[in-house]
Amino acid sequence: MLVTKEHTVERKYRCTGSSRAKFVIYIMQVLTFGWDYPPIRNGGLGVACQGLTEELIQAGLEVIFVLPRSQPTVGRPNFRFANSGGTVRVRELAFPLMRPYQSGSSFVEYFLADGRSIRVNRSILDEARRYAIEAAKIALEEEFDIIHAHDWTAYLAGIAAQEVSDKPLVLHVHATAYDQAGGGHGDPDIRAIEMEAFARADSIVAISNYTRNVLIDKYNVTPHKVVVVHNGVNLCPIEPLTPVLTEYKAQGKKIVFYNGRITIQKGVDYFVRAARRVIDVNPNVVFVISGWGDMEHEIIRLVGALGLSEHVIFAGALWDEERDRMYQSADLVVMPSVSEPFGLVPLEAIQHGTPVLISKQSGVAEVLAHALKVDFWDVEEMANKIIAALDYPVMNAQLVREGRLELLKITWRHAASKVVDLYHSLLGWWKKR
Amino acid sequence: MLSVCLYFHVHQPYRVKRYRAFDIGRDNEYFNALDQTDLNNGKVLRKVAEKSYLPTTAILSELLGRHPEFRFALSFSGTVLDQFEHYLPQVLERFKALVATGRVEILADTYHHSLSFFYSRPEFERQVALHAKRIFDIFGVTPRVFRNTELSYTNDLGRWCEENGYIGVMAEGWDPVLGWRSPNYLYKPPGCNSIKMLLKNYRLSDDIAFRFGNRSWESWPLDAPTYAHWVHAHHGDGETVNLFMDFETFGEHQWEDTGIFNFLRAFPEAILARDDTTFRTPTETVMALPAVGELDVPQVLTWADTDRDLTAWTGNDIQKDALRMVYALEHDVLRAEDSSLTEIWRKLQTSDHFYYMCTKWFQDGDVHAYFSPYESPYDAYIAFMNAIRDLQLRVTDAVRRKGERTHVKVRHSWWSRFIAWVKRLSTRIPFIGRHVHEHVS
Repeated sequence: MLVTKEHTVERKYRCTGSSRAKFVIYIMQVLTFGWDYPPIRNGGLGVACQGLTEELIQAGLEVIFVLPRSQPTVGRPNFRFANSGGTVRVRELAFPLMRPYQSGSSFVEYFLADGRSIRVNRSILDEARRYAIEAAKIALEEEFDIIHAHDWTAYLAGIAAQEVSDKPLVLHVHATAYDQAGGGHGDPDIRAIEMEAFARADSIVAISNYTRNVLIDKYNVTPHKVVVVHNGVNLCPIEPLTPVLTEYKAQGKKIVFYNGRITIQKGVDYFVRAARRVIDVNPNVVFVISGWGDMEHEIIRLVGALGLSEHVIFAGALWDEERDRMYQSADLVVMPSVSEPFGLVPLEAIQHGTPVLISKQSGVAEVLAHALKVDFWDVEEMANKIIAALDYPVMNAQLVREGRLELLKITWRHAASKVVDLYHSLLGWWKKR
Repeated sequence: MLSVCLYFHVHQPYRVKRYRAFDIGRDNEYFNALDQTDLNNGKVLRKVAEKSYLPTTAILSELLGRHPEFRFALSFSGTVLDQFEHYLPQVLERFKALVATGRVEILADTYHHSLSFFYSRPEFERQVALHAKRIFDIFGVTPRVFRNTELSYTNDLGRWCEENGYIGVMAEGWDPVLGWRSPNYLYKPPGCNSIKMLLKNYRLSDDIAFRFGNRSWESWPLDAPTYAHWVHAHHGDGETVNLFMDFETFGEHQWEDTGIFNFLRAFPEAILARDDTTFRTPTETVMALPAVGELDVPQVLTWADTDRDLTAWTGNDIQKDALRMVYALEHDVLRAEDSSLTEIWRKLQTSDHFYYMCTKWFQDGDVHAYFSPYESPYDAYIAFMNAIRDLQLRVTDAVRRKGERTHVKVRHSWWSRFIAWVKRLSTRIPFIGRHVHEHVS
């Protein structure tokens, strides 16, 4: 927090004592552009935005969180979080948008109030551009010191706000087009937006060293511009739930669980190939695949082709309690991602007391020491570690016990303090003091 | 008179390759990694030989030639001797030449650099006997002073050493154990009569072994006269300065560019600059100096990290599990009476395997403090356990083939006590002792 003597009346202050106090604390205001926010669930992005925002408010900042559409429960301006002192104002746009996890040209699908879904002849790219126009208007109305934009759909909005306000722009990279394409070039339009945004940003926050390296190697971003701020974990008390798949357990079968979208980015095909190798050695294993995505049919075909039908269960997308029950019933959770900027699934699994096998091509591998790790392409090694995890209970117990202790150290508070430091250095406030 | 007792430890383990679940029952080789990783034992040995063993032995032999007073001790694990013999016989010749000067003592050890003293006393005794035989075969000497794996020591070990005819035993001179006492004198374990303890002066030893190349250290760069000055400062406050460290300190832990070789070259001359300072081997030290008191070490004391205990090897559950697995095999391995299986089993007892499973450094994030050729402690555990499971299959198979007729030979305890007594007597007779030793064992 910056303590300053000089101030102007029109800005917001929080007085340290009486209204006549000579020294006042200036409250830094952040204009944040996101795409979604809980309770809407679209993947990890909204959850991460919430975790960071709440801790920034806790640190004494004021956050104006701009969302592109009205939301069912938090879609009102001047929304206050019950569990935090500050204000989050959720700005809404006139036009609703959906799902950023698609290619730029996918059509937008949204739901009417009565539940009917309609498709609009607008691509997500158009929506991002429209968002940017609205963002410029909002930036003219609002007062703030710094702009923070989360992921590519909000980059254009961030740039627009920067244009009209001339305030420093921070981009928060949760995923890139490179990740989405499973290591390929990705959608050229999205890539163009990313390239331009990275060039214009004053600073870039990457959620892992892995992502930082992607930015430097694949996007030619100058290294000193990129700061790594690892995501935190939202710890919640875990209650033991009634187990699922009990009939399999009764037969003495072990359960290996995959949870996530079924896309090329997530490496489910490597997981299925490893499953084949595991079954060759130990047929008493059931593989559960939960999620949806554009590779679903390909994966089902692969399971059939490898003769794994009786060992693989497709559970569909599991959420909340159903998912948690699955986590608790599983003997091992695998995240075989080809390219994973962070990866929330292993952290959830450990909270539920299940050890994890994660790909080395993930950001979460940097913060989790007590986890089994493998290169996503090394199917043999993946199978070897799955077998080991199922065979050596002592190791499993240690992975869970130590992993849980590790989670306590991965906090949003720590992430927020790094972000605040970045804001201060961008505004040059340290020097003034 | 102040004496300096130098001792360098030479050891390399047989690292277990990435032995996978699919290999169990199909691949009987655990130590034959041929890749470019640090699991390739031949490659590691050649690298360390080039950086450390060859240049350091050259310097030591030059120093022995130049300074008639210069002397020191070496200890070899059997696993490193086997590897020298297999990969680099010329290095072994260098060491033989050093020992042949008569001014280089060799210490007793376990053959497989194992923690067997704490897990199976009979196995420990077998490994010590194997080691003594191997040392005699190669160097023609019989060690009189004992050092256990990683300098681990307890009262029990001191007593065991006395009962088995050793005249000295080495331990860490750790302040919490010593209290107000100085490591620069000899002590004896409680309840023992003749055996003496040599305690490592860890401050002066670590100045060379750990801090020498550290640029943020206040005494960097360290030169031999300064160091000798620190040693000489112990005149009047001690009788011997015991400097124990890994042989690989020279050239491998401290690279050549730190100036470690020049330091070593200048070291004896700087120490001998004062007439009242000399070098002694551990045996000479024990013979020359009295034990000034008893030192009670009820808990295991080692020379490892800041805890000076066994937690780097036995601290977490996977380490305990792996140790349990390997020693649980003892009965069946001996019953199988298959020398190649026994040898593999013993190679798996080498303490380094368990060290690689250490997770202590996760807490402070100090990755470099605990070196491992594996990417993760869990990788080390998985490879080790897979190998053990394969060995288990082979042992069970061998036992079945042998049938139920076989029994493990158990030495009668009165007989082993008698032999120990003869050995103990023999150490008091100069020149003849060695032969008695040989004949009875």
